[in-house]
Amino acid sequence: MSENVLMRVDGISKSFFGLSVLRCVTLDIAQGTITGLIGPNGAGKSTLFNIVSGFLTPDAGDVIYKGKSIARTSVTARSRLGIMRTFQTPQIFDHMTVRENLVVGCHKLSRSGFLSNVLGLRSSRRELAKMNMIAAGALNRFDLKGMADVRAGDLTTGQQRLLELARGTLATPDLLCLDEPSSGLNADESRQLRLMLEHLNREGTTIFLVSHDMDLMEVASTVNVLCFGEIIAQGNFSSVKVNPLVREAYLGA
Amino acid sequence: MAAAGVLALAVIPLLASREVVDLLVFTALYSIAGIGVTFLLGQCGIISLAENVFYGIGAYATAYVTTALGWHWLVALVIGMAIGGAVATILAWPVLRLSGHFLALATLALATIGHVLFLEWDWITGGTLGIGGVAQISFFGCVLNTPQRFYYLAWIVVGIVFWLYSNLLDSRAGCAMRAMRDRPDAAMVLGIDIHQLKVKVFVLSAMVGSLAGSLFASYVTFVSVDSFGIERAVSFLLIAVVGGAQTIIGTIFGAAFVTLAPNLLSRLGDVHPLLFALALVLTVIFLPQGIGGFLQQQIRRLFELSRLGGDA
Repeated sequence: MSENVLMRVDGISKSFFGLSVLRCVTLDIAQGTITGLIGPNGAGKSTLFNIVSGFLTPDAGDVIYKGKSIARTSVTARSRLGIMRTFQTPQIFDHMTVRENLVVGCHKLSRSGFLSNVLGLRSSRRELAKMNMIAAGALNRFDLKGMADVRAGDLTTGQQRLLELARGTLATPDLLCLDEPSSGLNADESRQLRLMLEHLNREGTTIFLVSHDMDLMEVASTVNVLCFGEIIAQGNFSSVKVNPLVREAYLGA
Repeated sequence: MAAAGVLALAVIPLLASREVVDLLVFTALYSIAGIGVTFLLGQCGIISLAENVFYGIGAYATAYVTTALGWHWLVALVIGMAIGGAVATILAWPVLRLSGHFLALATLALATIGHVLFLEWDWITGGTLGIGGVAQISFFGCVLNTPQRFYYLAWIVVGIVFWLYSNLLDSRAGCAMRAMRDRPDAAMVLGIDIHQLKVKVFVLSAMVGSLAGSLFASYVTFVSVDSFGIERAVSFLLIAVVGGAQTIIGTIFGAAFVTLAPNLLSRLGDVHPLLFALALVLTVIFLPQGIGGFLQQQIRRLFELSRLGGDA
């Protein structure tokens, strides 16, 4: 395996109740890149995403991350290894404020234990104050200024997506997996999202992007096309776009 | 306002009858046991009907250790909390893998099993006869043998327990808990070990429940299995629902409702269980956020009104 591969999805197969959803899917996510995954509805993109982030275990094959097999480690453990994901429908903490959502995003950055939290030790209070400061900084960077005390459930879909993304980046993940990040966004917000992804990528975050949004997909350096559980094309976006197999299966439809 | 509340609590035993003070001691004991249930429900989304088990463990530990072994009440109290915490850890590890209605049913099963064991293990619990002569709490020779004397200790413990829970509410773990309640999947993705966190909160509530049980045993000096049945578990959950699970201070109002309402209503004659049920239904219908939630809303409204008034 070449050294600059951050994650390798290695021959993954998965079926549900005898229905084969993924068949020997192999793809590499190179360190420091934006890697895309496209495919028609029902191609198995979400299943692959769930296997990569730990919500499902594969029937066969392996997920290699930083040279180690992680196919059977828990979601929490993968998160601690630096893998972060967002969800197709934004999963924000509805009953908490925007600021509190961001504070939870800093969970991994802090260490204070349950007991010191209960006793209200100074170290635990100082830590919460620090988390609040990081959260306040993120409010500015992600265009959520003035919304710190708004209940997150009251935000628009676009704002919820931004919040989810902001929350996910606070603990500086090594691999950021985004599931349809531009769905529900207006043109302006989509443009903003694209700039943000490019910015995060420049700062060193590797991004794995699933999207129907072909404009957004232009940020990807490598695009994988998944169709009925198999990878039918891999390469840069412009070459994939003209691939006859892809045109037939997806773009030409 | 909080200061006024504390002052009122401090003066009551000097003015009120022995009977009223006795009820308020129970309000305090139920507040301590209820806060754990309220917190589990409101902050973690966990319905626990097993609090009677831990309340019982605390009470029997104090009864057994102070009578059969003749040890000091404080040692008994600590032993009770340790046993309660250990039992909770062993039970919670598998049971908290469940969620929602299944979890509620599993805790109900634990409550039932606990009650049966309290009855059957009569070599330690005294079975239906119970254990009498439990040591009363004393400080430097002052024995807390009247409701008036016990009252202050009970409410000071309420203060300490609520302080601990409010620390937790406003901390890293508190935020993680609410995140887990709202969206468990997203919480896991952010690196929160939700199972471990649930177990910790459950164990804390068990230890606090056991503390309340120990105080109860020392107060009434007699424990019997009737005090630790399913009805007790249900009344602890009622405290959370009536008081309002979102606020922790609501627990006190919930506890007051559960202890005072049946007593006041019983003066109206034999229909009192019906009236209690009616009062309960009305509270739940008209105050869906519980008494604590209702008060919080009113205070917020007052605050906004005064701000608007200031602007005009």
